[in-house]
Amino acid sequence: MKFLLQRMTLTDRLVVLVLLLAGLGGSVWVAAAPPGRRVVVSDGIHVLFSAPLDVPRQVDLAGPLGATRLVIGADGARITASPCALKACMGMGPAHRPGDLLACLPNRILVEIEGEHEASVPYDLLSR
Amino acid sequence: MPFQRPIVLLLLGLLLAAGWWRLRPEPGPLQETRLLMGTTVTIEADGLPRDRLTVAAAAAFAEIARIEALMSSHLPGSDVARLSAATGEAVVAPETAAVIARGLEVAARSGGAFDLTLGQLKELWGIEGEAPHIPTAGEIAAALAGTGPEALTVTGTLVRKRAPRLAVDLGGIAKGYAADRALAVLRKHGVTSAAVNAGGDIALLGSKQGRPWRIGVQHPRRAGEVLTTVAAIDRAVVTSGDYQRYFERGGRRYHHLFDPQSGYPADRCQGVTVIAPEAMLADALATALFVLGPERGLELLRGYPEVDALIVAADGRLHATPALAGALPEPP
Repeated sequence: MKFLLQRMTLTDRLVVLVLLLAGLGGSVWVAAAPPGRRVVVSDGIHVLFSAPLDVPRQVDLAGPLGATRLVIGADGARITASPCALKACMGMGPAHRPGDLLACLPNRILVEIEGEHEASVPYDLLSR
Repeated sequence: MPFQRPIVLLLLGLLLAAGWWRLRPEPGPLQETRLLMGTTVTIEADGLPRDRLTVAAAAAFAEIARIEALMSSHLPGSDVARLSAATGEAVVAPETAAVIARGLEVAARSGGAFDLTLGQLKELWGIEGEAPHIPTAGEIAAALAGTGPEALTVTGTLVRKRAPRLAVDLGGIAKGYAADRALAVLRKHGVTSAAVNAGGDIALLGSKQGRPWRIGVQHPRRAGEVLTTVAAIDRAVVTSGDYQRYFERGGRRYHHLFDPQSGYPADRCQGVTVIAPEAMLADALATALFVLGPERGLELLRGYPEVDALIVAADGRLHATPALAGALPEPP
């Protein structure tokens, strides 16, 4: 190592130092930063739509009964319109935590929030 | 000898790659959700490499789909649909017969509070369908004719109906059985830690990363809030509530858990959570307790020492078996 250092110019040493710091810093950042939460919509098998949870938008999702409207806003993702009879999916409110689910069974629409689970949530599963 | 830049940079790159590999987040447990048995089914599994977990979860979902094909009352050709259509008797799969026999046992021990023969009544109300409505008293009486714990008898794989028009409904037990079977499949694939959540019917395998699973119990009147949290290992946790599937008319809530005596939605509880060794039993007992109410429900559980329950009565008061008394939240 000493031999190598003797052979390196000041610029070489600076380049190596910068690369080392940038690389290690990047690795720590990748490890520490939680992945962004995403809204993933499927029909239970195939993914129909996917988007970041932090970008507001509105989308109509086609199911066998018609269009289910999904709105992504400040409070999370929620279903605001559905062609199903009971509208239970609209009554589920917003989903925002990783693992939260919204489902319209008649229209075969399943909305999931994906991302790292929050350590602050006091339970692993919800019995309801 | 000049400074060997390419070699040093290559070594540096390898060093950084190794560092990133060590620091990158470990993939967590596998978690997948499917729409099955008229609800969302989520499987969480851990303890094996990801590719083996994926194979195990796929097999577990396939097992649930197989049970749905046998026991759904809505799928033509299912054992249950054939039995309901039969005028007298039908031969069913051995496991369908076993589930019916288990259901009849709970029905008898609960004095008919759990009932597998309410298919016509549920169809009449249509609460899980497109057009729910309040039937007339005459329609309800007709739908209840011939129902009850003695309305079915099981001999081997032969199921006999007491009344020709009797419609069988395993909605109060089949989901639990499916969760148990899915867990058995995961175990067979070598999974050591798993949870199968079939629309709130939860079957647990082992612990979660060395500690008990923490199961939040939905507050029956505050959407999105948890009433309490219970800890469990190798158990099943099932909740039945009047907030799951319902419609409202004239300020009154009409939900999907029927009192077999009256033919109307049971009104003694808001929610019941049962913890049992298996989800099939927990599923059936949750419905039975919901119909019976807190006092008679807890009395029934004296005959099931391995089972615990948390009951929210219609007036909002909490009742629990002794082992769960510590899980009761403080009164406001």
